[in-house]
Amino acid sequence: MKNNTTTQMSFGKKLRRFLSDNPVPIMFIIICAVCIPVSGFSPGYLLNEIMTRMGRNTFLILCLLIPIMAGMGLNFGMTLGAMAGEIGLIFVADWQIYGIPGVVLAMIISIPISIVLGIFCGKVLNMAKGREMITSYIISFFINGVYQLVVLYMMGPIIPIKHSSIRLPRGYGIRNTVSLLNMRQCLDNLMSITIKGVKIPVLTFIIVGVLCLFFVWFKKTKLGQDMRAVGQDMEVARDAGINVERTRIISIVMSTVLAGFGMVIYIQNMGNLPTYTAHSQIGMFCIAALLIGGASVDHASIKNVFLGVILFHLMFIVAPSTGTKITGDSMIGEYFRVFVSYGVITVALTMYETKKRRIKSRAGQQLKADQKGDEADE
Amino acid sequence: MNKKKTILIRVLAVVVLLVIAAAMMVIGRGHTVYFDNVAMEYEGKTYANPYRVDVYVKEERAAKLKADERGMASWMGANFKMTLEITENKGDEPTTKEFKVKLPQSMDGVIINIPALLADLPEEAYLSEFVQTIVEEPEEEEPSDTETDTPVDDLGTDGFEGLGDI
Repeated sequence: MKNNTTTQMSFGKKLRRFLSDNPVPIMFIIICAVCIPVSGFSPGYLLNEIMTRMGRNTFLILCLLIPIMAGMGLNFGMTLGAMAGEIGLIFVADWQIYGIPGVVLAMIISIPISIVLGIFCGKVLNMAKGREMITSYIISFFINGVYQLVVLYMMGPIIPIKHSSIRLPRGYGIRNTVSLLNMRQCLDNLMSITIKGVKIPVLTFIIVGVLCLFFVWFKKTKLGQDMRAVGQDMEVARDAGINVERTRIISIVMSTVLAGFGMVIYIQNMGNLPTYTAHSQIGMFCIAALLIGGASVDHASIKNVFLGVILFHLMFIVAPSTGTKITGDSMIGEYFRVFVSYGVITVALTMYETKKRRIKSRAGQQLKADQKGDEADE
Repeated sequence: MNKKKTILIRVLAVVVLLVIAAAMMVIGRGHTVYFDNVAMEYEGKTYANPYRVDVYVKEERAAKLKADERGMASWMGANFKMTLEITENKGDEPTTKEFKVKLPQSMDGVIINIPALLADLPEEAYLSEFVQTIVEEPEEEEPSDTETDTPVDDLGTDGFEGLGDI
């Protein structure tokens, strides 16, 4: 009887601990569970949409894992890589390179740009230790300005752009939208299989799988271990002979380069490039998805990425329809999915800070109790 | 020694990437191929066009051309292949012929004159560059980054329109 009570207690404790450890994913599971039946979408449709969005977004979200491992928090600076990927795509569209070769070439073009931007971002973040997230967020705004200057004024007169179809009619600058019809879904369609009406982009998933395996391997390498050490405690890592600054820069460079690749994969799925807006919200959505998957500022794993993509995009698919059904106004659903994505970042960051403070306070109380105990012993 | 090895690996990586990029530029070079079923004159001789030509590219019919008509198809790479189903005169049985044409890397749009190709004339006779005529367009609005005057954007939804779908 006593044993049974103990087991029940421990189960209750476990459940409470599970709930307090994963409030964001649980909240989203509940939201999705409520919204799915109301939206009226068939399971086949939802599955199809989720598959498409997983192929489109997972790579981008995975690029956030490395800076978290290095203790640099959520890398809002991934936007820099996204811009590099977009520049690669503009060139590929101008040079008329079609299909998968176009995708590969755009990725190769993005690499040097991403590396330069990554080094710049890493160096600035090293000067702003402890405030990496807000700094990277502001850097992304700054580089967005530089991107606009390059794409709007330098492409044409300084950087040769041959085709009038992508150039603005005034003779310089790139149009608001660049058509990538000749490479649309080329990665997703190659090797794709359809099971009961659900299209599975096998090649895209293989690429994502390879990146996941790379992360698993990378964690075991010396550089990976260094990043983890730096992430846990910079001073201890420095005392252990690790070049902390260099390690942090490498983590940002890797994240930026991967973000460039991810953006190319994302845009090839869409089939057109919104030149001036495609990157503007991408960091926010990727970070929101990762946080919804249960990640925090100092801990994220591959499973958080997949869970996050599924829950976040499931909510994105069903929310507008649910909003329309409940209120009769489709804009409510649109508002809902926007404020939820911003809201979840706020909630997750607040909860992280509260948890950190609570742990600190408990440690302080424990220390105080220990000291009192020692005094009583004396 | 270790530094030298690092530099060597980096140089090798750059060279490999450049080689892949060059290969992609050749393999993936896209062309728009136009087919003209138009009678042509070459060295004083006139080559009449067939009554009807069906053009098949990648086993799909790309164009069905009668006299003085033009069709088009997109092609990736330099070695263009097409199958022509030619009906010389109205009521005739169509004959099928396969053609391979080497597309110049420098040309985006390529015009192939079918009567000249059927007559086995040299490349300069059947192949020419498609030059787009510039049509005056109304000035497009300056792209704005985020600001529009709709109330939706005040709530931070800017970027959604551009993204279309996330």
